[in-house]
Amino acid sequence: MLKYLLVVLSESSAPFCYYEKKPRKNPKRDLLPLKSLEEAVIFALKNNLKVNFLYPDHKLDKAYNALIDEVDHVKIVPFGSRETYPDSILVIESDGFPAAGELKGLRDENIIFRLRKNDLGKLSSRLNLLLMKCKRINLVLMDIEAYGAEDFEQYRRQLETVSDKMLKLSAKKDPPELSVLTDRLALDRMNNCSAGLKHLTVAPDGKLYLCPAFYYGRAGDTLGGIRNDIPIKNRHLLELKYSPICRICDAYHCRRCVFLNKKLTLEVNTPSSQQCRISHIEREASRLYLQKLKEAGGNPVALADIPEIAYGDPFEIVETKKLSIADFKKL
Amino acid sequence: MPTKDPVKIEGKNTWEEGRSKSVTFIVTEDCQLRCKYCYLVGKNKSGRLEFDIAKRAIDYLLREREFITENSVVLDFIGGEPFIEVDLIDRVCDYFKARAFEENHPWFNSYRFSFSTNGLLYHDDGVQRYISKNKSHLSIQITIDGTRAKHDLQRVYPNGQGSYDDVVRNIPRWLEQFPDSSTKVTVSSGDIPFIRESVLHLWKLGIKEVNINVVFEDVWKPGDDERFEEQLVSLADEIINKKLYESYSCSFFSKSLGQPYRDNMNWCGAGKMLAVDHLGNFYPCIRFVGFSLQKRAALMLGNCFDGIDRNRLRSFLTLDMASQSPAECLDCDVASGCAWCQGANYDSADTETIFQRATYLCKMHKARVRANNYFWNKLSRKLHQDLRAQS
Repeated sequence: MLKYLLVVLSESSAPFCYYEKKPRKNPKRDLLPLKSLEEAVIFALKNNLKVNFLYPDHKLDKAYNALIDEVDHVKIVPFGSRETYPDSILVIESDGFPAAGELKGLRDENIIFRLRKNDLGKLSSRLNLLLMKCKRINLVLMDIEAYGAEDFEQYRRQLETVSDKMLKLSAKKDPPELSVLTDRLALDRMNNCSAGLKHLTVAPDGKLYLCPAFYYGRAGDTLGGIRNDIPIKNRHLLELKYSPICRICDAYHCRRCVFLNKKLTLEVNTPSSQQCRISHIEREASRLYLQKLKEAGGNPVALADIPEIAYGDPFEIVETKKLSIADFKKL
Repeated sequence: MPTKDPVKIEGKNTWEEGRSKSVTFIVTEDCQLRCKYCYLVGKNKSGRLEFDIAKRAIDYLLREREFITENSVVLDFIGGEPFIEVDLIDRVCDYFKARAFEENHPWFNSYRFSFSTNGLLYHDDGVQRYISKNKSHLSIQITIDGTRAKHDLQRVYPNGQGSYDDVVRNIPRWLEQFPDSSTKVTVSSGDIPFIRESVLHLWKLGIKEVNINVVFEDVWKPGDDERFEEQLVSLADEIINKKLYESYSCSFFSKSLGQPYRDNMNWCGAGKMLAVDHLGNFYPCIRFVGFSLQKRAALMLGNCFDGIDRNRLRSFLTLDMASQSPAECLDCDVASGCAWCQGANYDSADTETIFQRATYLCKMHKARVRANNYFWNKLSRKLHQDLRAQS
């Protein structure tokens, strides 16, 4: 069931996930047409959808702001627009990381931090800075298709360092959350991106897509204009049940990014080796972090332990965990 | 009591079935024929495998011991018509043997060269030289579709002339050289009326094992299933009445056919096998090569220069029956043995996926199951009666 709508207000809106935005042309001309925005807002109102608006780094006309204000929404904005749009989710890029002075004014922010592979070695130091200012950080690892054994190991070490910092912060009244370390702790089932199932995207061309990446990355066809009966061919393949690898996996926090799946494995329901390895590095980091939290006697004592496992990619165990037809039907 | 099962109808297993790596070299995209049901819709003269490309592919396969772990290999040479390029094939086989020996690779002691040929060049001196040289490692299947009427209905030259006479003259020599050979018969809508007499005709020619399947594409017309069932029932009667089950096999009849699903295995081996085209590109099987596909672009796994993209293999290696089948198939009471082709599924799917099973064959499969039940029930009763009479 759809729960929210992503609306990309401009070609140059801040990308908040694994895709790249298009080069900015004329800021006026690359905006989502006002009429399309109106259609999106009405669609959201009629279908009880919350809206996440993705903002560009330039100001919008009054008419746009007025329409946006008609619906319950969250703003996702580039870091540079934080003062224009307070109380928004901020997108920070590792290759344009704010200077120390720019971070000074931040307080209890909700941040999406997109980390380039080239900046992997700076992950812990960057996060250490941000964690002091934020209540939540969603970490997005870019360029994962290029990750190899050394990168995985470096990521593991970086998370280990961050984990120590998080442990210190855990004594605070409202300790910050770091998606790749803390999300898994409280989950007992998959909680993934769910593009196409829980949310759809209105792109700057006024058409619907599974998510912004399918617009920018051109990995799939548009779903057409905004209307009531949205045709998603083979929609069931987006569901966990139809992913032979994911349905046996307990890296519950994994994004299961259907765009990356399509890009790297050619199937929306099949995760790449990189996606699985990264999610299992995070799962293991979460497991160890939880252990340390419990040893320290904090609140998470009530949380269930995360089992230790011997594989780093569930692809390795698919054969042994193959479901029977009867068990498949029960899902 | 008889000491061994007199019923041979189900045929025999192929060499190292399920334990060998099957690698298909598409040596040419050209063929002398233009068979009407052929899935290779883009035949041409330009797609010819170069020796250097084949060498690179073999080097890659032999080098990737940790990734390609099978201890046996079947090098399958296919086209178009593979024997058009017999000289090239000879060089490729020599190279494979030499390299496998140098590498002390287990494949050197466990390999087969396999061919599916239209048989038109079987008598050719070059082909015969190649056969003499490699005979103990060869499996050759000449495709002859049955009676002249059935064969010439589908297997024609570009000018429309049938090829039956040019193939059948090579059958005796083939059977002399490879007495246990089988042939593969393909059935499309138009040749259903010829099934019974075609199977009997092939057996009469001395081909004891007839592997036969209906095409996977959406070619079926209303009533085809009933006509198909009639042909198979009639064939069943003939087999039982004349005790042909004692000497011959036909893949239409199988004890394992027509049960509810017991496991969740994929039917097709695409991805576990590998096809190599003339550019050195790797595919999950020949049905994913561009000239096999009508709607979709080719689906490549990599190439002999950069190797296989293992991410692209993951869906093929994890694909199971349940994830690609509609509910009606999973609930079907007679599901087992219902075949599909992953490439044909991919070509006809609503999106670019191998996870959408085509169900064009549903009625044909059910017709086959009914005829198969008829065959085994009737045969079982007859065998019991024969046994009682003997005792």
